[in-house]
Amino acid sequence: MSAMSEIPLPQAAKRVVPWWLLRHETMLAAILLVALIGLGGLNSRFLTLDNLLNQGRLTTEVGLIALPMTFIIITGGIDLSVGSIVGLCAILLGYSWKIFGFPLPLAIGFSLLVGAAAGFLNGIVITKVKVPPLIMTIATLALYRGLAEGISQARSVRGYPEWFYFIGQENLFGVPAQLWLLLIAIVVSAIVLDRTTFGRTLYAIGNNETAARFSGLPVDRVKLIIYTLSGLMAGLSACVLVSRVTTTRSDMGIGYELDVIAAVVLGGTSIFGGVGTIWGTVVGLAMIQLLKNGLALTGVKGDATIIVIGAVLILSTLVASSLQRKREGV
Amino acid sequence: MKLGLAVAFLGATILAGTASAADKRWDGADDLPVNPLACSAGEANAAPAAKPYDGGKPTNAADKAGKPITLVDVPKLIGIGYFNATTKGMQEAAKALGNVTVKTDGPTEAKIDEQIKFIDNYITSGVDGILFAANDPVAIAPVLKKALSKGIHVVGYDANSAPDAREWFVNQAEFNGIAKAMMDSMAKEAGEDKSFAIVTSTFTTPNQARWIAEMWAYAQKCHPKLKWLETVEAQEDNNLSFNQATTLINKHGDKLAGLFGMTSVATPASAEAVTKAKLCGKVAVVGLATPNAMKPYVNADCVKSVVLWNPVDLGYAATYVMRAVVDGSLKPGATSVDAGKLGKLNVVNGSEILLGSPFIFTKQNIKDFDF
Repeated sequence: MSAMSEIPLPQAAKRVVPWWLLRHETMLAAILLVALIGLGGLNSRFLTLDNLLNQGRLTTEVGLIALPMTFIIITGGIDLSVGSIVGLCAILLGYSWKIFGFPLPLAIGFSLLVGAAAGFLNGIVITKVKVPPLIMTIATLALYRGLAEGISQARSVRGYPEWFYFIGQENLFGVPAQLWLLLIAIVVSAIVLDRTTFGRTLYAIGNNETAARFSGLPVDRVKLIIYTLSGLMAGLSACVLVSRVTTTRSDMGIGYELDVIAAVVLGGTSIFGGVGTIWGTVVGLAMIQLLKNGLALTGVKGDATIIVIGAVLILSTLVASSLQRKREGV
Repeated sequence: MKLGLAVAFLGATILAGTASAADKRWDGADDLPVNPLACSAGEANAAPAAKPYDGGKPTNAADKAGKPITLVDVPKLIGIGYFNATTKGMQEAAKALGNVTVKTDGPTEAKIDEQIKFIDNYITSGVDGILFAANDPVAIAPVLKKALSKGIHVVGYDANSAPDAREWFVNQAEFNGIAKAMMDSMAKEAGEDKSFAIVTSTFTTPNQARWIAEMWAYAQKCHPKLKWLETVEAQEDNNLSFNQATTLINKHGDKLAGLFGMTSVATPASAEAVTKAKLCGKVAVVGLATPNAMKPYVNADCVKSVVLWNPVDLGYAATYVMRAVVDGSLKPGATSVDAGKLGKLNVVNGSEILLGSPFIFTKQNIKDFDF
């Protein structure tokens, strides 16, 4: 607590930011509720506990990455390489186990380490060489995917031991195992963002990076930490994904970056930085996954579903930005 | 310092990757056992030993023998000519049978994760049967097993899954048969001691990987002097396939005497690249493709042989097989199944139903086909 009072900026941010943010999330949650009831009315199998938990299972891999992505976007950055890190980590998990002969737990640790290292590399170049995050992570999007394909030489790794499938396919107390992982990650991220100096620093950087630097905040170190965290979570997501689909392929995680960013932005995090919450991201994630699922169950075909998701994204962004303009006009 | 460490680490990873990849096998081939056919045309291989049924079984499936059923078809992706043709076959079969409804729905890109989600959603929404063409034989298995456990019948076509994750698989043509047709055509058109390259979808796509593995085995046995340059990936993407083929032509120059197209997208794109480079007659194009896409190149004498089966028949057969499974007329241990206008199809390899031998389209016969 005493550490927080030393920093003047976050207190100002506290007064302005959460006020309308709360409105955006409440609104989004309300839309989600209406969509849930509507889709539930159209298809009796939609609002079953079984289906909803299963959707939680399917959204975990994207969800795990969306949490650190919220941190990054709050600082005004972006990480487009997460999908490729998923591919690289998946391949290295399989390869270190099958080809290098690591015991599987060690292989899991190794692939997580590689994920963190990949994120660290992003962070170090972004902070030290001052390459914009967009450029750097577009570059590593290609680089990490290329590494995944080069290392694997297109060989899939299969035949993992039975215990490894637990996290991807089994239930724990009636809830999909990976959903527990996601729930813990959500709670931890929310506390970090909302209740710690570290979290406040993220908003400060996003609002005005120069001011944050002059206030003595460790801007570079914080950025390094969140990009590394992003890579680590992408590695974790890769382990969950491999366990769920029981095989390792070099094309895993292609396009994840877009799903992740869509969820974060839909959840009210501003791409310009300074604004956003974990709860918004969670609602955004749930919204996209349940819309896709509900529409599919109602008989809407695959390509039409994508159109609807796109329209919802545009609409909610419109509403959010007009709301923001109203607040600022007052 | 830290940057140096990270670079050193990445470098080491790359080295480790290339070292472990040192392999004499062709790129894009899988590691499963191969079974090349005999070299000469007339000489048939000994029939494979009869294998017991190795497919799966649904739990407590509802008895719908002779009753109307609703099926969903989840191909690798939707919106390409090949799967439009299988869909057409399914609709024809549904009409002929009269008590089957089939809907085709699937991802717009050939992604394992997306395909799994589609199947998962159809399990929840409730169907009597699922027809699929797998993007990955192992990745798709858990969700298919889930379908079986919920009493839903599962039949594959075009690209198989692990056998115990589905009941039957309708095999369009055996891998070694396709491989033989492809390699024999290439040796005849390009020359026995020439070099060729391959344009495939991705190295992890099961069918293409299997064909390349069998082509490698058959070439070693029957055309040992053919030289392989490289295999390139081009997804199932028109533009990318054309670009990759053009790159191969530019890169290898006179050395390149032949191009294999491993997908219905890569083959016409390769033929287009050869046409654009004005190398018709100098670079042979042999590949898998649908006749309509290849007619311009075959008629212009740029392509001599197109290898395929009839995908309309494939979809048709898959639907009849599903109906027979639901009716209980196709049981484990059966040796053949009735497939409407296609007659009786034979069971091979435990739980696979063989559509027939591969078909080679040439200038003489390609005009008779429209799909």
